[in-house]
Amino acid sequence: MACEMACSYHRDDGFAFLSACIVAYRAREKRDYFGILLKEEEFLKVARPEGLEVNRIGEAADPNKEADASAKPMLLREGCDLCEDMDDYGPMCIVICPVDAITLE
Amino acid sequence: MEYLSTDKILVIDLATSEIEETALDESLVSEKIGGAGITKYLYDKFQNDDPIVIGTGLLTGTTCPASAIGLITAKSPVTGKLCHCPIIYKVGIEIKFSGYDHIVVKGVSDNPVYLWIHDGVADISDASEIWGKDVWESTDSLRKHVGDDLLQTMIIGKAGENRSDYAQICYNYWSSPDRFGFGKLFGSKKLKGLAFRGMGLIEVADHENFVRRSLEILKEIKTNDFMTKKGIAEIASALGEAGIKEWLEPIVHRHSADYFTPYATNTAVFLDEDPKRVEESKVAEPGVLISDVPALLAFKKLGLSAEDTGRAFKACAKYGIDPAAVAELSGKSSLQEIVDSFDGLSGTVTLKGKGHFSSWCPLKPIFNNFGLSGDAAKDETWWERRQAIALIFGIQPIFSIMCPELSEEKLLELSRIGTELDLTQDILDRVVADLLK
Repeated sequence: MACEMACSYHRDDGFAFLSACIVAYRAREKRDYFGILLKEEEFLKVARPEGLEVNRIGEAADPNKEADASAKPMLLREGCDLCEDMDDYGPMCIVICPVDAITLE
Repeated sequence: MEYLSTDKILVIDLATSEIEETALDESLVSEKIGGAGITKYLYDKFQNDDPIVIGTGLLTGTTCPASAIGLITAKSPVTGKLCHCPIIYKVGIEIKFSGYDHIVVKGVSDNPVYLWIHDGVADISDASEIWGKDVWESTDSLRKHVGDDLLQTMIIGKAGENRSDYAQICYNYWSSPDRFGFGKLFGSKKLKGLAFRGMGLIEVADHENFVRRSLEILKEIKTNDFMTKKGIAEIASALGEAGIKEWLEPIVHRHSADYFTPYATNTAVFLDEDPKRVEESKVAEPGVLISDVPALLAFKKLGLSAEDTGRAFKACAKYGIDPAAVAELSGKSSLQEIVDSFDGLSGTVTLKGKGHFSSWCPLKPIFNNFGLSGDAAKDETWWERRQAIALIFGIQPIFSIMCPELSEEKLLELSRIGTELDLTQDILDRVVADLLK
């Protein structure tokens, strides 16, 4: 969640989660299933424990997949700009991740 | 209070259903800083109404490493002492982002209710549909009702409804640091729990400097050897429990951290699913999340297997009862006998420290010795102060006893940068002394 906070900070200059384009996927709490969602301009990337899934935004979702209810839909958020205005740091989610789980390729 | 704050204190009277909002005065922050400093002030102000005060630290939910927690301050119905219970996982930060720094709950409701706090709005809601349900069913029900799977809850189970001395407030689905019988206090007020969700924005006085210093502190923290470790078994091992890692490892699924806490202080174990499964389990309730190292060790000492220990934790979390009290007082050594003992549990739990802070947090430093000599009395004094500091600023308490880099000076420095208030070591010393007296 620190990545969400840092991403949102880059847009709002304050601490919030609403503006983040990177989101920790933690709705399946009882099943201990977590991942990371990243909204880009054209793609939604889903980093799951079992691997990376890249979906083009606008394509029909798999109707067989269970959807999570959330007050903050991903598709309404701005796409990742790699924190282009944060000259001293680069992408904030990478800088702030305490366990270096996020990398840029 | 303009910065690091929602600028709002909520006062809810369960007896009259009145809800009042007041501003968080800058002068109060200048005097009490935040967290337990302010929740104790609010407790004293409303003490004739036997209040439950829920609060957040001054740095909670910021880019300060481990700024993960909120807290509950109330008089323990068991010990009669004023106690402070950390609100961990992702629940503590949700309180601040739901729109309030502090929430005072006073009075007694005629009927079961829960409090729904969201985006700066507070509602007292009828809890008749979840009263009688266990903790897991209640959280599921509230999330479904609101339509948001990220809703964060503080909920009691049947132990609290039945006013057991060992009743615990649970967070979402999991056991909590509540060693004080706060679950009984909720039950006696007919308060099933609270649900939080919010998308607020916390402003910072000098945000660029605050983030820069946060990242510098994080960089220092990352030089620690503990960054190569994860989970509760490593903590237990560091406390001298030989063989704990090998005992627990076969059922470990994953370790997780509270918000922005560099060490994963929680461990999820799978009981009805292959722990090595990588894909999402098809089993609805495959396991349980454990954060309570002393309770883990107490179950192990009773002779339980790791799997039965996990099942005991799961049963305690559903029932809303303190697993450490169960392990200490049940006198049983089989899982079924332990679970059957919940209703008839009696006796006095051994009090650790002065009883103001939760012994869910181990009473010794972990991974780093903080320059302590090993003198028991001095170690206890150090632990009490370290807990007070964590609960004033909103720092994960277990992380605070493993990380010397997160010093009082640095927390004060970030607080000054974030608020532009002249928060000094003298002020902090006075707030700590007030909490420890």
